[in-house]
Amino acid sequence: MTSATTMNTQAARRQSTPLEKVLRVALYICLLGMAAVYLMPFLVMFLTSLKDVEEIRSGTLLSLPGSINFDAWGKAWGGACTGSNCNGIAPFFVNSFQIVVPAVLISTIIGALNGYVISMWKFKGSDIFFGALLIGCFIPFQVILLPMARTLGWLGIANTTTGLVFVHVVYGVAFTTLFFRNFYQGIPTDLIKAARLDGAGFFTIFRRIILPISTPIIVVTVIWQFTQIWNDFLFGVAFSGFDTQPVTVALNNLVNTSFGGKEYNVDMAAAILAALPTLIVYVLAGKYFVRGLTAGAVKG
Amino acid sequence: MANLIIEQVKKRYGSTEVLKGIDISIQAGEFLILVGPSGCGKSTLMNAIAGLDDVSEGRIMIADRDVTYADPKDRDIAMVFQSYALYPNMTVEENISFGLEMRKVPKEERDIEVKRVSEMLQIDHLLSRKPAHLSGGQRQRVAMGRALARRPQLYLFDEPLSNLDAKLRVEMRTEIKKLHQKLGTTIVYVTHDQIEAMTLADRIAVMKDGEVQQLGSPQEIYDNPANLFVAGFMGSPAMNFIPANVVATDNGIMLELATRTPTLLPFPKKQALDAYVGKEILLGLRPEMITEPQHHKEGLEFVVKSQVNVEVTEPMGADTMVITRISDSEINCRCHPAYPAAPGSDIELMFDTSKAVAFDKDTGARIDL
Repeated sequence: MTSATTMNTQAARRQSTPLEKVLRVALYICLLGMAAVYLMPFLVMFLTSLKDVEEIRSGTLLSLPGSINFDAWGKAWGGACTGSNCNGIAPFFVNSFQIVVPAVLISTIIGALNGYVISMWKFKGSDIFFGALLIGCFIPFQVILLPMARTLGWLGIANTTTGLVFVHVVYGVAFTTLFFRNFYQGIPTDLIKAARLDGAGFFTIFRRIILPISTPIIVVTVIWQFTQIWNDFLFGVAFSGFDTQPVTVALNNLVNTSFGGKEYNVDMAAAILAALPTLIVYVLAGKYFVRGLTAGAVKG
Repeated sequence: MANLIIEQVKKRYGSTEVLKGIDISIQAGEFLILVGPSGCGKSTLMNAIAGLDDVSEGRIMIADRDVTYADPKDRDIAMVFQSYALYPNMTVEENISFGLEMRKVPKEERDIEVKRVSEMLQIDHLLSRKPAHLSGGQRQRVAMGRALARRPQLYLFDEPLSNLDAKLRVEMRTEIKKLHQKLGTTIVYVTHDQIEAMTLADRIAVMKDGEVQQLGSPQEIYDNPANLFVAGFMGSPAMNFIPANVVATDNGIMLELATRTPTLLPFPKKQALDAYVGKEILLGLRPEMITEPQHHKEGLEFVVKSQVNVEVTEPMGADTMVITRISDSEINCRCHPAYPAAPGSDIELMFDTSKAVAFDKDTGARIDL
């Protein structure tokens, strides 16, 4: 793989004609253009969050702030009003973490176990079971709102963090199972046979042999689930109580609550804050993701 | 070390029967090879012995203990897989000692065992490596080490050499044979390579379509194949099957070959051919029994010379395979490289039928058993 890439690069260098150079420049311009389209809103948000309200009203969207001040960030974090409550988005941040962390962990663990069983301990009807589970990936969120509300009420966990965790786990298991199952399909079943002959049982094999080689897919699943659940608004607004709202719902409330003039700088700062955790997860775990894929962890 | 008895083992998947009543029994310390083309059920039988697959009917006994429904881990067997199936997350040392750890062997004893096995297989310098950083041959050794470390009653080898290159395969083959001689363990070994089967086995079970075609020592199977399939499967190049007419002559029953001028061949067990006089049978003759004329064989009872036309020659160094055609069947003859045999020319060959066998043309069954 590495040597092939090097050879390709060398070949490209040798044969690079004027036309190819032009095309390459065009490609870069194209890529830069697309990057700009994606980055522009973020830039505007960031610049706006550093300005004060006066400056926003008088200036243009892209003008640089006259002086850099993080007052809006402080207010968004700890003082902005969301409805009648004026403690910023900090408490909701905590709510979101209380929902996301258990939901991601539980759905990932269940997904891993499901995938392990479906691909390595096939039972009669396991393929049908998997097919049925996959339907979960295609059901729109809106469809299950009412039945889920009834279920949560019946279970006595309506309007609680537990309830939201439950909803996200139920909804996430279809995806996490799919991820793990596809990954485990590539692992030779001889590995399981060998371990069984060595005397290991179902959970020992899972813990000692399968989990240690699952790092790449665990990272993928965690990124996916974290992003999904953190960014969720619909379940959050439908199933949360007043004091269990996730940050996305709080952000909405913050933007819609105004006493006097609209504070765009605070709105923008709050929006960036709310998006920060997913960004950090991508930056940190993305590296492990690539490393996991290229280390050839499943070879042998 | 233990004996292995397989009684009337059947395995069905839905309505298809993969194993149709297998009976095999081997002594403690014997090296049994299951050989056959792909899809013959040899791997299924192996999995049944290991307990990785349930049998539908029948009984499997290891060391006189009925293990038909025992869990794989309770059968006291170890297996070497074609894919090696080394645990990729563990070092060589951990791979070898995993089975011992699962059986709650204390750490000190595990270390001693790992040392013993790794020195025996010359992999003691690789103990801290991960499988991904080993060559094919090294992985093969580790896989064997993992099996040896547990000192089980029975070893199962599932095509262990088929992922190695030709040279390494021959080396490892010899090594496995040495290991078996040294340790005297009972081994069941699956392969589709008939040379492996011949060289390694104490006893060979030739399988086809879920049935054992013949169970016997390599020489028995080579010299006395039970049917056309076994005869054609074992030996390389394969046994020649020459259509021959059974004719009654003044010298008794002879076999007539449709060479340019018909050749009459004597046959050791003539009485077996009584019922076939006037009919066509298939004469089974190994390539080494059709040679250039050899002085020391001149005049022997079952030796006849005849003219044939050379179609093609394949020099192999030690011998040259001369390929000719009799009654539309391609015939391989093993000649001395110095014997002149130009393609297209007619040459004289010596047919030695002292070890010839005869098959029914329609059923493929041995006639002269």
